[in-house]
Amino acid sequence: MADENGGELRKRTFVITRFDPDKDQVPKTQSYEIACRPDWKVLDALNFIKDEIDPTLSHRWSCRMAVCGSCGMNVDGEPKLTCKTSLAEYGDTVEVAPLANFPVIRDLVIEMDGFMEKFKAVKPWIIVAKEKAAEEGTYKQTPEELAAYKQFSMCINCMLCYAACPVVSQEPEFLGPAAIALGHRYNMDSRDEGAAERNEVFRGPGTVFQCSYANECSEVCPKNVDPAAAINQAKLNAVVDWASGFVVKRGK
Amino acid sequence: MKTLLLRMEPIVWLLFGAGIMVGTLLLPGYLLTVTLAGPLGLLPDGALAYDRVYGIASNPIGRLVLLALVALPLWKGAHHTRALAVDLLGHGADAPVGSLLYAIAAVGSVLGILAVLAL
Amino acid sequence: MRPADPHAMQPSKPGSTRTAPPQVPDDFWTRPRMLTYLLFDATGIVYLLVGLVVLRVAWALTSAESWNALMSEFASPGYLVFHAIALVSALFVGVRFFRLFPKAQPARIGPAKPPPRPILHALLYVAWIGITLVLLAILGGVWP
Repeated sequence: MADENGGELRKRTFVITRFDPDKDQVPKTQSYEIACRPDWKVLDALNFIKDEIDPTLSHRWSCRMAVCGSCGMNVDGEPKLTCKTSLAEYGDTVEVAPLANFPVIRDLVIEMDGFMEKFKAVKPWIIVAKEKAAEEGTYKQTPEELAAYKQFSMCINCMLCYAACPVVSQEPEFLGPAAIALGHRYNMDSRDEGAAERNEVFRGPGTVFQCSYANECSEVCPKNVDPAAAINQAKLNAVVDWASGFVVKRGK
Repeated sequence: MKTLLLRMEPIVWLLFGAGIMVGTLLLPGYLLTVTLAGPLGLLPDGALAYDRVYGIASNPIGRLVLLALVALPLWKGAHHTRALAVDLLGHGADAPVGSLLYAIAAVGSVLGILAVLAL
Repeated sequence: MRPADPHAMQPSKPGSTRTAPPQVPDDFWTRPRMLTYLLFDATGIVYLLVGLVVLRVAWALTSAESWNALMSEFASPGYLVFHAIALVSALFVGVRFFRLFPKAQPARIGPAKPPPRPILHALLYVAWIGITLVLLAILGGVWP
């Protein structure tokens, strides 16, 4: 079997999680057997199924180039960006499920409002006591100051790290990898003055100390953000900030 | 209890960090000699005789190392066992198991300080 | 699939459609990486017990009789097996923790800058081997 360009097609069975909130009490699976081109990503197969076989299949995707962070799913049990994951890595049967640890809205589409709340909780913006006047010029940063946080700013909010984290699975309040990494990214930014506020969030109910350094977030991160590094750096900073609170009384 | 645990988190984490670092650095040397080679009769005669070990343990550095070997593994152990309980039993186990384990570590540390002072 | 905590990643207010509860794959807790991590956490039980046994050692040092009694107890199979497990645990914790430790250091800790990660990793091993050798010499009766 070959396609019009002469590439060998390979038959694969996709076992896909289906959930219709109007009909189903719990998610079920449905299998689709399709002939896949050798250069396909997992997302190409899902789009083929939706376009050619079953238009009721729901999944999120947008950019197809691993920058929008929409197409995260559990492929054979491992959280993956489906647009970046080549089918060549898989066998004849491929299981595609919605991201683990998230409530499911429909089929492969997860409820991400819980994530957005955690995301906002860490105040992911530059906090300054007093904005500089325009005539005072721009905020300057040395390459070294940029390097202190740049890696942690590469997050695309794909939420794979939440699907991989054992603590997220058990501790609903935990802020989680991407949110903490982002908060830490601003704490490490030389232009920012909000570290004390964020450190209080880090020591609050969703505390960074719930992280037990499984390192799973960093294993699955498609952008090499290394959230586990960020979280554990954030722990040390949160402790130093906590200890310095005894030495210097902070004005509120 | 949950609030108390949350407030203790930074200090517990510091003790845990010290435990995993210092404890792990010290344990192989201690375990290999006092608990394995010694009891198996592989050490030179008198290496672990009471007078010799007492002399080592009762000098100031010896006391510090002995205290570190008592207290730090307790905190590392309590913290990691708490994490394991959450992994296996869910977050409902966190407060009861965590409080119990930290209580054990705290009492053990105090007894360790007393033991080291009594040498 | 198996259930995750039913409240995992739930928004504080439910959305407009009913959702299926959060789940994890059947083998979520038994994949090799996760088992290694669970084993790492489980060394906590061993460390806790080691701490309690060393507490016995510290108190046994108050008299020669109690010290000698404890040493002969240590020669029992139960204690030997436990201490062998403890040694393996400590080595496992060291290897994993010393690998993960360097990246947990912020670019700057107050005025101090930690050394580059590979050098820090190597320094940890130098310290580990050095301290072990010193303890072997002192407690093994070779030095002083």
